[in-house]
Amino acid sequence: MTTAATGLADRLRELLGPDRVLEGDLARSLYSHDGSIVDGACGLVVLPETTGEVSACMRVAHAAGVEVTPRGSGTGLTGGAVPLDGGLVVSLARMRTMDEVDVANSCVWVQPGVLNLDVSTAVAHLGLHYAPDPSSQQACSIGGNVGTNAGGPHCLAYGVTVQHVMGVEMVRHDGEVVVLGGAAPDPPGYDLRGLVVGAEGTVGVVTRVLLRLTPLPPDVRTMLLDFTTVADASAVVQGVIAEGVIPAALEMMDRNMTLAVEEFVHAGLPTDAAALLLVEVDGTEAEVTTATAVVERVAREHGVRTVRVARDEDERALLWKARKTAFGAVARVKPSYYLHDCVVPRTKLVEIMEAIAEITEREGVMCLNVFHAGDGNLHPIIALDRSDPDETARAMRAGDQIVRACVAMGGTLSGEHGIGVEKREYMPLVFDHDDLEAQACVRRAFDPSGRMNPDKVLPTGTRCGEVGLADAQVPEGTWI
Amino acid sequence: MSTGWTPGVPAPERDDLNTCVQCGLCLPHCPTFRVTGLETSSPRGRIAAMRAVQAGDAPVTGDFTRFTDECLACRACEAACPSSVPYGRLIEAARVQVEANRPAAERTGRRLAIGGVMGHRRLTRLMGWGLAITQALRIDRLLPRRLRFAAPRVTVRGMRQPLAQSSGDGPVAMLLTGCVMDIAFRPVHQATLDALVRAGYRAVLPDGGGCCGALAAHAGERESARALARARIAEMEQADVIVADSAGCSAHMRTYGHLLADDPEWAARAAAVAAKVRDAVEIDAPPGRPVEGRIAVHDACHHLHAQGIGPEVRRTLRAAGATPVDLGDGGRCCGAGGIYNVLEPEMAATLGEQKARAIIATGAPVVAVANPGCAIQIGNHLAALGSDVRVRHPLEIVD
Repeated sequence: MTTAATGLADRLRELLGPDRVLEGDLARSLYSHDGSIVDGACGLVVLPETTGEVSACMRVAHAAGVEVTPRGSGTGLTGGAVPLDGGLVVSLARMRTMDEVDVANSCVWVQPGVLNLDVSTAVAHLGLHYAPDPSSQQACSIGGNVGTNAGGPHCLAYGVTVQHVMGVEMVRHDGEVVVLGGAAPDPPGYDLRGLVVGAEGTVGVVTRVLLRLTPLPPDVRTMLLDFTTVADASAVVQGVIAEGVIPAALEMMDRNMTLAVEEFVHAGLPTDAAALLLVEVDGTEAEVTTATAVVERVAREHGVRTVRVARDEDERALLWKARKTAFGAVARVKPSYYLHDCVVPRTKLVEIMEAIAEITEREGVMCLNVFHAGDGNLHPIIALDRSDPDETARAMRAGDQIVRACVAMGGTLSGEHGIGVEKREYMPLVFDHDDLEAQACVRRAFDPSGRMNPDKVLPTGTRCGEVGLADAQVPEGTWI
Repeated sequence: MSTGWTPGVPAPERDDLNTCVQCGLCLPHCPTFRVTGLETSSPRGRIAAMRAVQAGDAPVTGDFTRFTDECLACRACEAACPSSVPYGRLIEAARVQVEANRPAAERTGRRLAIGGVMGHRRLTRLMGWGLAITQALRIDRLLPRRLRFAAPRVTVRGMRQPLAQSSGDGPVAMLLTGCVMDIAFRPVHQATLDALVRAGYRAVLPDGGGCCGALAAHAGERESARALARARIAEMEQADVIVADSAGCSAHMRTYGHLLADDPEWAARAAAVAAKVRDAVEIDAPPGRPVEGRIAVHDACHHLHAQGIGPEVRRTLRAAGATPVDLGDGGRCCGAGGIYNVLEPEMAATLGEQKARAIIATGAPVVAVANPGCAIQIGNHLAALGSDVRVRHPLEIVD
């Protein structure tokens, strides 16, 4: 470590004390990863507990000219929380207090380290919940959700994170604290709050979030449908929505994934089915009854084998556990996974599933699918062993082709995981030079220093304004 | 590729390490991560650290030792892990490596406590008398805080309490007398013997008796643990059922087969004994007396996470007419962790106080605790908060 960096650690220790500044080699290496397979290089870690401490750390970092990467629970899947070049990691994991719930306005201010599921648990007694429910919701933090504009199964009906964040407090690159948005329904001026959501820490460090809370539905029904072909299951997805029913959640799981998950949850999933649909409808009792009837009818029209309706809360929880622990269960197959969360129009589901099968078969890699079918948000999980360089290369190639196939079908790069490091070089597939340049200008308006989570989201070399773009399109082998 | 593991000593297996995909779903279930928010005190972080050593990127000494020491080995992460990473096995192997590299001066104290005293019944009894006398004279207050919080309440009367075995024709159930249980929890032993009789067994004690080796195994003292296992096997293998009324002991004795798998002379005998082990709350005896009212239930990690035992405790209490009440803390570890509260006093105290507050919050006058380490830790932290909630083994409550 350089002398300048050692001095930085000393100054940060003065602010936070010795226990909340990590600079040992092994500790830093643990902060050079997140839930993805991106390997980075972390120079120093700080764990502030208040907005004031974050601001003070940012002032020190700004003065020292070091790059800063904010981190929540580190469950992200694109390397967004991984510093690439020895920068400072600001871990928000100790910022986990919640204010009193504003019951009249159904909202609550929380610190970014509060876990997603803990919000819903804490407000359940008021008949409320926080609707966006990423599959990692037991572990992922609100700050990370804001950074990636996280989705989740129930976002089909309820909307993604940006629809549930009413305001944010953020510390800018130089330590300035700003508050964007608030409890008022429609703050005047540009919607800067909306811009911060999904910015992946490139415009500042979010230190408090005003979350919209949603009433718990009076009734809910969860169904598991199983099919002998993926095409039938996909047809049901389209058919149900075409009938005017928007289920709270509409998830698909293929056979490979079902096999891996069933081994962990023992939920009695039919492991011989080609595809499973997990459908949840909610609302008043009458609404639920009607919607259930529609789902069942459409499913039967498309050759459903069995319709299993969860009898009680325990069975419902078990079915959701099967869905929400799916990624982790991949380790039963291989020690690592690589995935993109591309989106395709719902009408292209059959086509893309066939394309994915063909691509992964051609590359000789195993693919497990589990995804938000209702909004066409795919998760083709390619299982791999990173100690096998050949398999790793094949997995990368397959992932690359899948992304391109999705975009070619009118889809886009990411539904919810963010762009991070993994997908930044694909940005030119969906944006031209001018678009990317404009986005770089927005970023620079917030962070003229360019040191807020650099090298994330925008492809290497993208710059604002008249700065040359000659090197902007050079793709680099960025992942791994 | 050269690894950082010390050769000739068991180390975390590569295949076991490979089962972790770093998804992070374990984080919120880890008591130490909940307190610190540090990746270095999380299961995912500790596994990543093991991988770093495996890859030759980090030594076993220094930070790796610190991260490993901080783990309670409660195994709450195992139940939460969708890929079923065998974390308990990994951390135990990591500890063996850590112990093999710990400076001699530091090891002596640990060894003395674990292998030296607990391994010998006479020394354990002697320590019991020492505690009974210092506590009776109230000079134990001179002990450092960490030792006071980890020390069981021992009374002269308790040390001298005889244990009544039974005769009869039923199948023979032999009770592990153990180490800490034998000096500080004799009433629990008696309640277990009584329950065995009610369940139709001939309840007997081993000839000799002593520690099962769990404390040694958890602390990475593998050879001490193996020696103690052999002694217990030789003493107890004739019984039809082998009963332990401490969650840590029953969980550990169930691993005897694995512990001695590479010892040709003992492997089969160890596996046979392991298969006969029952925890006292699994006996399914009719209650000895009716019990009314609310009883808070603390699930020992070695019950809930190591053996999947939890419903049994509640069933036992309900059968006697009591109302079991779950704690509102998500069942996190109390911080006792064998001798963790001696080695890592600060973290243990934080967790112990959290647990005591969760118990007090239930409003129940009694808390059911089926593990001596937890009972000592919880009892001491309840007392420190001025609470009069009583700590009892579930079988004591219905005896």
